[in-house]
Amino acid sequence: MLEIRNLTKIYNDGTEALKNISFKVEDGEFLVIIGLSGSGKSTLLRCINRLIEPTEGEILWNGKDIAKADGKSLREARRQIGMIFQHFNLVKRSSVMTNILAGRLGYVKPSSSLLHHFPASDRKKAFEAMEMVGITDQAEKRADELSGGQQQRVGIARALMQDPLMILADEPVASLDPVLAHSILGYLDEINKKRDITIMCSLHYLDLVQQYSSRVIGLRDGNLVYEGSNAEIRRMTDGEFKEIYGEEAVRVNAGSLTGGIENE
Amino acid sequence: MSNALKTRKPLIPPPVAAVMSAIVPGLGQLLSFRVRRGLLLLFSFVSIVGLFIWRLTILAHREVTFGDQFVKSFSRQPAFVIFICALVVALWVWIIVDAYKMAKGKKDKGAGIFALVLVLFFSLGWQISEINVYKMVKEFPEAWPPLSRILWPWEAAVTRDTSSVEAEAAILADDSVNPPAAPEYIEGKPYLKSTPTFGNMSTLDKKNLAVKGSVLHLEGSGFEPDTLTYIFWEDSIGNEFRPRQDGDYVSFVTDADGSFVFDLVMPYRLTPPSAVGQQIHHVHVRQTSDVGPLKASEPLKLTIVLMLETIFMGMMATFFGIILAIPLSFLAARNMMSGSWITMAIYWIIRTIFNITRSIEPMIWALIAVVWVGLGPFAGIIALTIHTIAALGKLYSESIESIDPGPIEAIQATGANKLQTIMFAVVPQMIPPFVSFTIYRWDINVRMSTVIGMVGGGGIGFLLVQYIRLLDYKSAGIAVWFIAVTVAILDYVSSKIREKFI
Repeated sequence: MLEIRNLTKIYNDGTEALKNISFKVEDGEFLVIIGLSGSGKSTLLRCINRLIEPTEGEILWNGKDIAKADGKSLREARRQIGMIFQHFNLVKRSSVMTNILAGRLGYVKPSSSLLHHFPASDRKKAFEAMEMVGITDQAEKRADELSGGQQQRVGIARALMQDPLMILADEPVASLDPVLAHSILGYLDEINKKRDITIMCSLHYLDLVQQYSSRVIGLRDGNLVYEGSNAEIRRMTDGEFKEIYGEEAVRVNAGSLTGGIENE
Repeated sequence: MSNALKTRKPLIPPPVAAVMSAIVPGLGQLLSFRVRRGLLLLFSFVSIVGLFIWRLTILAHREVTFGDQFVKSFSRQPAFVIFICALVVALWVWIIVDAYKMAKGKKDKGAGIFALVLVLFFSLGWQISEINVYKMVKEFPEAWPPLSRILWPWEAAVTRDTSSVEAEAAILADDSVNPPAAPEYIEGKPYLKSTPTFGNMSTLDKKNLAVKGSVLHLEGSGFEPDTLTYIFWEDSIGNEFRPRQDGDYVSFVTDADGSFVFDLVMPYRLTPPSAVGQQIHHVHVRQTSDVGPLKASEPLKLTIVLMLETIFMGMMATFFGIILAIPLSFLAARNMMSGSWITMAIYWIIRTIFNITRSIEPMIWALIAVVWVGLGPFAGIIALTIHTIAALGKLYSESIESIDPGPIEAIQATGANKLQTIMFAVVPQMIPPFVSFTIYRWDINVRMSTVIGMVGGGGIGFLLVQYIRLLDYKSAGIAVWFIAVTVAILDYVSSKIREKFI
């Protein structure tokens, strides 16, 4: 279970990205974060595994405060929390296999991993992960030879290699077309339901939010402005919608795939 | 300049502005609140006039008063003096007109006046840098012989063994007591007999005019028939030289029997003051002929050897440069060092050292290195290595700074430690720019090592400078050709390798 208490992040230039945010994530949830670009979604996700240092507050991960963890304990917390990214963040010149094996770096002996030496069990595990996302035949290709959808699947496979208890997904489908978006979120849904891995995912398209989330939180200017269940977001009023997306936002047809909220 | 200042009304009426600018060029514009324009015109006018006067004092440096200097300069370079004077007057008039217009409140920018200023500066620059196209064209015929030897030096690249047929006779100089005997005649060997075997050397009189010495009647036999034959003179301390008679080296052609008769005037030769006793000189008669197959000449051999030395100098300097630049480049990359103020301080220090080191040319480092380790290729390697570390360190660190931070984030998120993150996320991204910059630098280093020898840093430059100083343009030409071909090949190879890695 993840509990965020009074989390605040102020960047060096004075930007207040997160303002005193508190919420809980129960095990097995598919929590979706919505909000405009710049509302603090990415900062929030990155504070959880300390890719960004929080300014204040506690991040209680199964009872331990990640905000105060350092060195080894931080790395142990990180390896329990997988992460996938909008731009996939693969090492482009390395092979798909190497990219996926990198997910084991938190587990293997550092000295042998530097020479790209991984135990046979890890390689077997990598093939299982590739099988799960359907990219087994791409193993020896260079990551930048793959299409966007395939790259994101490599990203998912890399996260799965960590044997994670939770996966953070920072706008995982924002660079993909709607069909691929469904396929990627389908994998996350499967991981969430079959493997009981908690998912915390930021999304833009309201129809995707309605389809995949079990619970939703909304951020606006670094404040937590909305919290609701899947049922509630399906009934979301214009007033609540504008509360999150601002007065200018026009609600487009939530039922169609192409009708996303254009805000970039 | 603020807008308020621009829109302010001129302080003075147009005619006054014109008079102001006539006295101090640009003052009228200044008072019309065209501050930048006024200052620019003032500074341009003052510096143009200043530079012109400076050139006049240099052209006529013996004259004292300005009037004399002007007249003398005019007589020496009339075109320059008239041209600049005319343009300066034109500029002055234009500034006055401009002041009038500006005081009238014209919005027009009028950049033409600055074009005139530029023309003036370029005309002065032409004279200051002593550009002389006429001389360049006129003296080309004189430059052509050495130039043609450099362009096509290959006759000097080959040589053949020579064999010589020679006989000598001893001559007593400036004395007639106990002259040396004629050499013994041996059947079948070349033989030279001088009559007499003593005489007076040529000397110089008080006016430094040559006074001819005694004439030696030379008779010889047993030489190659019908062959050009040279006479050499060996003085009493064993130094040999070729005597001249009426301006030409003394030579003749033997007859059909291989015999000759020749009258030789004893040449001029300073006898060292320390020489005492009888001064015995020798006269040599020598025929040389080429025998055997063509073979590489000494300059060609030396060039090849030193070209190899040059290539390896470049290689070693690049190698040492890479080894030292890689770790330093991480310390000079902002995104690797932004952790704390201590690491940022290291970043700034290394950056500064890189910038200073890089701005000093390898030739200058070579001068320092020669003092340090003495003449030779090692000094050149040190110089090139120092420059390479700084240049590659900067290029490397900039490419580290420009890597995609995404993969670093992703690898960190898996729980990898710092070293693993570098190996998995940074190094794969670094390989293409590292390889590309390194090959490029090797290319530069070999090119640099061809000239670094000129200051004693080893390599082919050393040889090239020596040949040029000895006026041996053919040998110099061989070196130039080798440099050009090597650099061209290297250029091609390095671009091919770089293509592969990008």
